[in-house]
Order: sequence, then C-alpha cells, then structure tokens
Amino acid sequence: MLRSLGNALASSVGRKLVLGATGFLLVGFLLEHLHGNLKLTPIPGLGDAEGEKFDTYVEFLKSFGAGLYLAEIGLLLLFVAHIVIALKLAMENREARKQGYVVRSDRGAKTVGSASMHVTGALLLLYLIKHLLDFRFDAGFHESPAAFVAETLSQPVQALIYIAVSVVIGIHLSHGFRSAFQSVGFSHPRWNPLLVVTGRALAAVIALGFAWIPIYFLFFHG
Amino acid sequence: MSDESSGMHLTLEIWRQDDADDRGRMETYHLDDVSPDMSFLEMLDVLNEQLISGGREPVAFDHDCREGICGACSLVIDGKAHGADAETTVCQLHMRRFKDGDTIHVEPWRANAFPVVRDLVVDRSAFDRIIARGGYVSVGTGSAPDANAIPVPKDRAESSFEAAACIGCGACVAACPNASAMLFVAAKIAHLSHLPQGAPERDRRVLAMVDQMDREGFGNCTNHFECGAACPKGIEVETIARMNREFLSAALRER
Repeated sequence: MLRSLGNALASSVGRKLVLGATGFLLVGFLLEHLHGNLKLTPIPGLGDAEGEKFDTYVEFLKSFGAGLYLAEIGLLLLFVAHIVIALKLAMENREARKQGYVVRSDRGAKTVGSASMHVTGALLLLYLIKHLLDFRFDAGFHESPAAFVAETLSQPVQALIYIAVSVVIGIHLSHGFRSAFQSVGFSHPRWNPLLVVTGRALAAVIALGFAWIPIYFLFFHG
Repeated sequence: MSDESSGMHLTLEIWRQDDADDRGRMETYHLDDVSPDMSFLEMLDVLNEQLISGGREPVAFDHDCREGICGACSLVIDGKAHGADAETTVCQLHMRRFKDGDTIHVEPWRANAFPVVRDLVVDRSAFDRIIARGGYVSVGTGSAPDANAIPVPKDRAESSFEAAACIGCGACVAACPNASAMLFVAAKIAHLSHLPQGAPERDRRVLAMVDQMDREGFGNCTNHFECGAACPKGIEVETIARMNREFLSAALRER
C-alpha cells in the first residue's frame, strides 16, 4: 500500500498535492515567523524598541533544546520538498512544449503571481540562503539577537534587500495560497471568490508585515 | 471595407509543415473578398481553393461537424485556442469578428504530446489512450435495462452532464502555459464518477487515467486557469480540484 501511495504521490497530481500541502505549512511557519519578528519593533502588547521581547522570544525558542533542532529539521524538509517538487514541475513544464507559439496571447486567467511562481520561487530560495547566513549561522546573532538584527537592518543595502524580498513573498503568495487550495482538491463556486480575496489579503499582510521590520530599522530606529 | 467589393482583405500568417519531421515555418497569404458571414473554416476553404487552382498545396486542417460539437477543429488564432470568442470552437467563429485589413496568425495546437502531423493538423491520439485506460463504464449487455432503474439525483446528473460537455478538442492543452491536459482528464473522470453507473470503476479510473496522462508527456498543472478560460464548452477548473480530491482518496484506498 505504501509503495502504491508513493507512486501516486510521485505522479503529476500527487506532486501537486504535496506542493500545495507543504505550501500551507510554510505559510503557517511564515505567520509565526512574522509574529516573532514583529517583537523587534515597538508594537503595543507585542514588541518594544529595545528588543527585549524579541530576545525573550529567542530564549524561549532555545529553551526547547533538542526540540528546536528537530523543528528546524522538519522545517528544512518542508522547504526542500516544496522547492525540489516545484523545480521538477517547472523543468517538466518547459519540456512539455518544446516548440512554442509564434504568437501567444492569454485570456486573462493567468496573473502576475501565477506566471512568475518559478521566478519568485527561485529568488526566495536565494534569499533563504542569504537570510540563514545573515542570522541563523552568524554567531553575532546568537550573542545578542535584537541588537544584531538592528545593526544589520540599519544598513540601507540590507534593508532594501529585505524590503524587496517581502514584496517577492507577497507576489508568490498572491497565487500560492489560492492555488494550494485547488491543488489539495478544495474548490467550490461559493467559496472560491472568498479564497481569492483571502489569499491576496494574506499575501499583502505578510508582505507588509515583513517589510515593516527593515523599514522600521532604516527610518525609525535609534 | 474596400470600395470595389463588399468583402474584406486579409493577410494570413499560417503555419506550414510538410510532415512530422519537417521544421515548419509561417507562410503569408493574401485573401480578398472575404465575406463577414463566412465561418473561419469556410475562409480557409476559400484560401485552399485559391491555392489549389494556383497549383499549390492546400493548408491541411482538422474539421468535421462544423457545428461546434465534435471537437475536431483545433486552431490557435492570434495566440488563442479557437480564437478570441468565449466558449466558441473555430468552426463557429465568424469572419465578422475580424476587420478589413487584419493580419491573422494561424497555428496548430502546441504540445509535445500533440505532435504536428501536417500544417495545422496535430495527432491527438494521446487523448484516446487516456480514455482507453479508464474513461468508460462496464455494463451488462443483453436486454435494455428499465428506465430509471438506477435513481440519479438531479444535481448529480447535471454536474455529470456539465463535465460530459467536453468535446475532447484539446484547447485546454493548447491554452495551458504548461501544456497540461488536466482539464480534459478531469472532465472525463468527472462525468462518469458523478453517476452511480461510474462507481464500480471509480478508483481504478482516476489512478489509471492520471497515470496515462503522465506517460503521454503533458505538462503539470500550476493553476493558471487558462484552460478553463479557453474551453469552448465552459468546463470549470473546479473539475480539476475534484480530480485531485478523487485521486488522493483513490490512492489512499488502493490495496
């Protein structure tokens, strides 16, 4: 049974399901990541300008010890599955029409988000590596988290990169959220318009939320 | 409209390809006196008569019923499968939709799974092989069954019929940026699985037809939804979500 299930998940429809499901879980991660990061900025009840609440949050996460490493491995697997499947699909799709059209015109169903998934996805992968090197694998961050983030994001070039990437995440999610529902088999005429709106709203909230942090450190901090 | 005649003057850029091995190229033709009341295919008939009388090879294109129900006609016109009209096959597209002096680009469906046979004719037998893997129901032969022996709820009958409207033309593949056949396969699965008559083979059907679709080398769906917008029969992309759902439950139940 497991073998046949494995074969099914390796099919075109099966990989779509996995891509959608991992996408949902990654959105969940992004929301918690955003919640944690907002503690860096003075938001009543959430964060403060001194970064004390953020440092407490980091300590809280580290208190899980081995559990945190397990969660990180799980997260890594999610990212790897999502990225590997997406790359494979993109390559196969390019192969599926070797001879293209001389004149090509769509009917407006395609969106900027849907048409650029492979581009935004690839940019996010590059960013992910940079982001991990900037913080996760920098000893400075672990010594004094909030102060280190403040120092990094006060640099205009860094801040601009982080702001730009927030926009890229937003574009990716503007298609990804709605698309994931379709991929896991949820589509209903009554709910689809709500899904489109929710997806775009969520994309905007996540993009603006993440962009706010570098904007704060660039213009309002210190 | 020109002064001398009531017809239109058109420039046609048409894909010409001698056979599957030929590289192919766009060729330019000029056609005068095209009546706005002609269908697009009748316009091509006129072009072909002109070509034949000039001793040249006519343009090969697929067509059959010319009533919009057989799914044979298959042209990409100015980059759109079946042309710009919504829910219309090429045979039902009329020249009044074009303007005097227009240049019109005509190309075949493009997908590796639909190799060009000649000019605008492509080989769509990949669809037949997908159907052969499970797009049928088993019935007992013999005397005709009583009418209404199997009760079918009205909404089920209707949703089945909506999916059954698929004429298998392949516009979904042609319009999909990824050359995916999922709308076609989903429609063929849905019209049977919505009915009690399709229930015995339900799980086997979805697994086998998806498997064959993958073998044929179609692309993967990434939810652009261009297929649904291009479908001349208005098959909804919701049908694909239903197939995904059915595929997952069949895969989980498989022993």
